[in-house]
Amino acid sequence: MKIKNPIKDMRTIKEILTSAEDAARRAGESQPGAEHLLLAALEHPEGSARRAFERVGADPDAFGAAVAEQHVGALRTLGIEPPPEETLAPPPEAKPSRWYRANASLQSAFKRAGELARDDGTWLKGAHVVAAVAGMEHGSAARALRAMGVDREALAAAAAAEARAAPPR
Amino acid sequence: MPVPTEIAAPDDPAEALAAVVALRRLADRLERAAVARAIDEGWTWQQVAEALGVTRQAVHKKHAHSRV
Repeated sequence: MKIKNPIKDMRTIKEILTSAEDAARRAGESQPGAEHLLLAALEHPEGSARRAFERVGADPDAFGAAVAEQHVGALRTLGIEPPPEETLAPPPEAKPSRWYRANASLQSAFKRAGELARDDGTWLKGAHVVAAVAGMEHGSAARALRAMGVDREALAAAAAAEARAAPPR
Repeated sequence: MPVPTEIAAPDDPAEALAAVVALRRLADRLERAAVARAIDEGWTWQQVAEALGVTRQAVHKKHAHSRV
């Protein structure tokens, strides 16, 4: 199926990817992963990602903290108490690059989101990103969603419904 | 006498792998802070590379962009 509005499509994609980089940097990481892609989709004014979360009764604003908490929890299983934030390095500077640098988890989620959008015959929406990330069984995003008490299958289904329901901007 | 820290990996593979991810993330952040401090205190890239056990090119490529 053809993409209906390539200009709008490109703009949403670019904004979400840039915002994922910012989210990773704020977390002190040099490259964004699937969890940052989801955070970016939740922050995007297009709004369908947030509505997908709300459909399953999940708080979109709680996801960022849930990701950070699961890293802390994972360190504690090793008996390691993470040092205070202020003693750690400040966020890495943006590295000018001709290529978008991202973790494999982001690449895989982004590819899947694009496939879902294409299947729907629409431009890429935040809800497609939610559906793609909700489809991932392992990793930081999956663990954070579980910690929030979110059922990934229910979220994926809600996101798919939202992607089809959301009115174009 | 120093007390050895016991690090026992969790039995559950998902927990153990998540712990590795969190450790790598922490190690990266500690490395950036430590390298920045060493350079600020006048260490050369060669000295930092030696201390980390990597090549000067590797440490420069990874960290120099945030020091210019």
